[in-house]
Amino acid sequence: MAIPPVSRRQFIATGSALLAATYVPDWADAFQPGPADDARRAEAAEVALARATALGATYADIRINRYRRESIATRERQVRNVSRSASYGLGLRLLVNGAWGFAATNVVDAASARAAAEQAVAIAKANAVLVTRKVVLANADKVVTTWANPIKRDPFEVPLDTKTAFLMKLNETAMAVPGVSFVNSQILFVDEQKYFASTEGSRITQRLVRTYPQFSVTAADRASGDFQARPVVDRAQLMGYEYVEDYPWFQDAEKAGHEVVEKLTSKPVVPGRYDIVVDPSQLFLAIHESVGHSTELDRALGWEANMAGTSFLKPTDAGTLRFGAKIVNLVGDRTQPGGLATTGYDDEGVKSERWHLVRDGMFVDWQTTRELAPLVGQQRSHGCLHADDWSSVPFPRMPNVSLEPAATEVSLDELFSGVKRGLFVEGRGVSSIDQQRYNFQFGGAVIREITNGKLGGMVKDAAYQSRTPDFWASCDGLGGPATYRLWGTSADGKGEPGQTNAVSHGCPPARFRNVTVLNTGAA
Amino acid sequence: MLNRDESLHICDTVLAHAKGAGADDAAVSVHSSVESHARFADNRITTSGRAEDLGITTTVWVGRRRGAATANDASPEALKQLANEAVQIARVSPVHREYVPTLGPLTYGEARGFAPATADVDLAARATALAGVMDTCRKEKVTGAGFHSANASATAAATANGNRRYFRSSQAELSVTARSAAGTGSGYYAGDHFDLNKLNSQHIVEQSVGKAVRSRAPKPIEPGVYPVILEPQAVADLIGFLTNSLDARTADEGRSAFSGKDGKTRVGEAMFSERLNIYSDPMHADIPVSPSTTEGIPASRFSLIEAGVLENLEYSRFWAQEKTCEATPGPVNYIIESSQPPTSLDDMIKGMARGLVISRFWYVRQVDPRSIMLTGLTRDGLWWVEKGRIQYPVRNLRFNQSMLAMLAPWNVEAIGAPERRLPLMVPALKLSGFAFTSISDAI
Repeated sequence: MAIPPVSRRQFIATGSALLAATYVPDWADAFQPGPADDARRAEAAEVALARATALGATYADIRINRYRRESIATRERQVRNVSRSASYGLGLRLLVNGAWGFAATNVVDAASARAAAEQAVAIAKANAVLVTRKVVLANADKVVTTWANPIKRDPFEVPLDTKTAFLMKLNETAMAVPGVSFVNSQILFVDEQKYFASTEGSRITQRLVRTYPQFSVTAADRASGDFQARPVVDRAQLMGYEYVEDYPWFQDAEKAGHEVVEKLTSKPVVPGRYDIVVDPSQLFLAIHESVGHSTELDRALGWEANMAGTSFLKPTDAGTLRFGAKIVNLVGDRTQPGGLATTGYDDEGVKSERWHLVRDGMFVDWQTTRELAPLVGQQRSHGCLHADDWSSVPFPRMPNVSLEPAATEVSLDELFSGVKRGLFVEGRGVSSIDQQRYNFQFGGAVIREITNGKLGGMVKDAAYQSRTPDFWASCDGLGGPATYRLWGTSADGKGEPGQTNAVSHGCPPARFRNVTVLNTGAA
Repeated sequence: MLNRDESLHICDTVLAHAKGAGADDAAVSVHSSVESHARFADNRITTSGRAEDLGITTTVWVGRRRGAATANDASPEALKQLANEAVQIARVSPVHREYVPTLGPLTYGEARGFAPATADVDLAARATALAGVMDTCRKEKVTGAGFHSANASATAAATANGNRRYFRSSQAELSVTARSAAGTGSGYYAGDHFDLNKLNSQHIVEQSVGKAVRSRAPKPIEPGVYPVILEPQAVADLIGFLTNSLDARTADEGRSAFSGKDGKTRVGEAMFSERLNIYSDPMHADIPVSPSTTEGIPASRFSLIEAGVLENLEYSRFWAQEKTCEATPGPVNYIIESSQPPTSLDDMIKGMARGLVISRFWYVRQVDPRSIMLTGLTRDGLWWVEKGRIQYPVRNLRFNQSMLAMLAPWNVEAIGAPERRLPLMVPALKLSGFAFTSISDAI
């Protein structure tokens, strides 16, 4: 798919020419580089790769990326901040004597590219004395192409006052609910324009646009000093401004207002063992933490031991270890429409794909890169290399990891109907999991009792705690295809220096039996 | 990294463009940086690189309407575009109700936390240091993983009202995780300094390896409330949740652990152990930092908790204006220390009848801001103490513990001498009780 053509012209043609002319031009121009910029970028890439090769690199790749971000933050009835940022630069990675080197600079021209190649080679050579095993990369196809995620409306061409009006109406809707004290809302748009070139001949140009609306509603009781919050923060998608226009945000805001007021006066949960039904708005995070991170092969190999940790899965476990109940199927998927980790090609030029991590409850495969795949005997990478910036070293990052729904339609009420004493968990609460992804504790934004199959009143201060294999083994009900939803996190941290990754997880609501629930309100 | 003249020239250029485009007030900051790292695992280097970047941010006001823009291109046309962009955003933005005029000329102390060696890493010396680290791991039959970083930056800022400042800072750090060959023991240790030449890599790896060896084959204990000794790293893993809560506005708005009843705050209350002092000081000999708050207020020693009493909360310039008081000269770092002579870690253990020694915490999250209730897990070294001696390693535990209760007058038995963990100087703590809620299988 080709990158959309310059759209400023189209925008001006829509009838907002006067307004557009007052505030869009510099912004749009800065991000619609012309043929001269493209030529300078290509020249920098070719110079860097040639210089690396001349200095002894057996492989090199370069990412020359341009990022544009617009953020609008509000609270109650005022706009707190409008900011835009732009960043452009190059990052070169190469292998010399089996050791990696990397150098990055914010100046994109032939001279800087040449200097970066020399720095990266010097780093690789200095570290080569410590090599105990030379890096070997799985084969990859030579790719020359362009790709972009489909968007209906470019958020960077929507008038600012349209965006602020959206947030103000969102805040007003929540504030109109009696008892609501504060509302914070924010919308962030990200535009990544990426160029990849390698010594193997790949040349890939991509554009990815993401839209991140989020808000949080707070109710405070000043007399007692108590307060509660209802965040709605995990709805970002790889979409354009149509996501703001098409989704019923105001309905969510009003609902969040009522929920936070009810939460302030709700009773504390009685700790104990419960059957729980987990909504996609929280289950996505449980999948992220317990499945997404445990199936990263670099963790299982100990490469993250000093930071994010290792995994309870061992490199030899694929194909032999039961991960959960037979109804549990989990897929890695970098092609999922709207997914935050969806892309055409990863950051070493491998085409995106979908594959099973867990099939019929058995752990069957890993998340891999070209460096990782050969270490478990695989010939090809699953395409999981990612750098969060041109200045960052690309390394293994999570694809969208999603739980497949039941084959036939199963409603939320049908999941409740099998529960005598239980809880229904919705939305993000506090999450925490150990460094091998066994023991976890997840809260929810809204938690309600289920009694004899019927949904009841809200409880507060509740969190469920379990152990990954026990939790997934206790899963005995999944919603059907109509209940499947995509949620995502925009700031998944990993690596040193730390990098953030945006990643989505699709799932239906699911039921888990006999899970420990804590009251987190008491000291 | 840009020098003072280069940085302030960019500031002045952007300010002039902003004024020319119609800005009534403006602030510009220029941040230039160089970051070098080597990451290793499985006793070999996994990634290593160097990155240079520049961040130019301008915030402008047209009337009371605000716009902000950031870019990393210092070419003359890009600087003009940046200023125009910010002014254009301001023109179409609503009135900024929290506008405070930018600062005028102010006098700042000298920034001391910068060393040239950290900005210009000697690659061969780094490889030699890491070879020593990996050799130590191999000799002790543990698998080493770690991160060596050396970052330096220069930050300049200027305003339309005449404020100008420029500070350099640097930070070198080495952290090492050692895991026993069978995967039954794990240790972690980290050290940092602004001068790369002062980083003692051998000490760091020996501490880490020692913990890995001593934590092998841990035994399970029942979750519950136990007396504990938190090593400095463990305190560092928790204390940020407390220091981040020391904000006046959220307390005044009734949504902080320091909000009192009936709309008041808890300033003046003896909420904590009388042994506890927390203050900020940009000139602290062990942790010098830039002598300016992020808003540009000249930083000076600033007490937050004195002998257990909540003395001050942080006031931003806007909130100070609202409350007709002065913006606070910090915090810019946090020094946590004992108001009484410190107790060594060894003496804490000798004086413990029964309890736990905790190396480090992991994945700590705030469960409830009202009490700063945290959850998380122990990691990389947990031991059972009885009759004044470490007896055996213990399986990791999940905790759910309020920070207010943890540092309450009745719960702090001893405080050690603080160690540097940027942005903290942080001591070991001996506590009467700490609440664990479940066992973790993780090592």
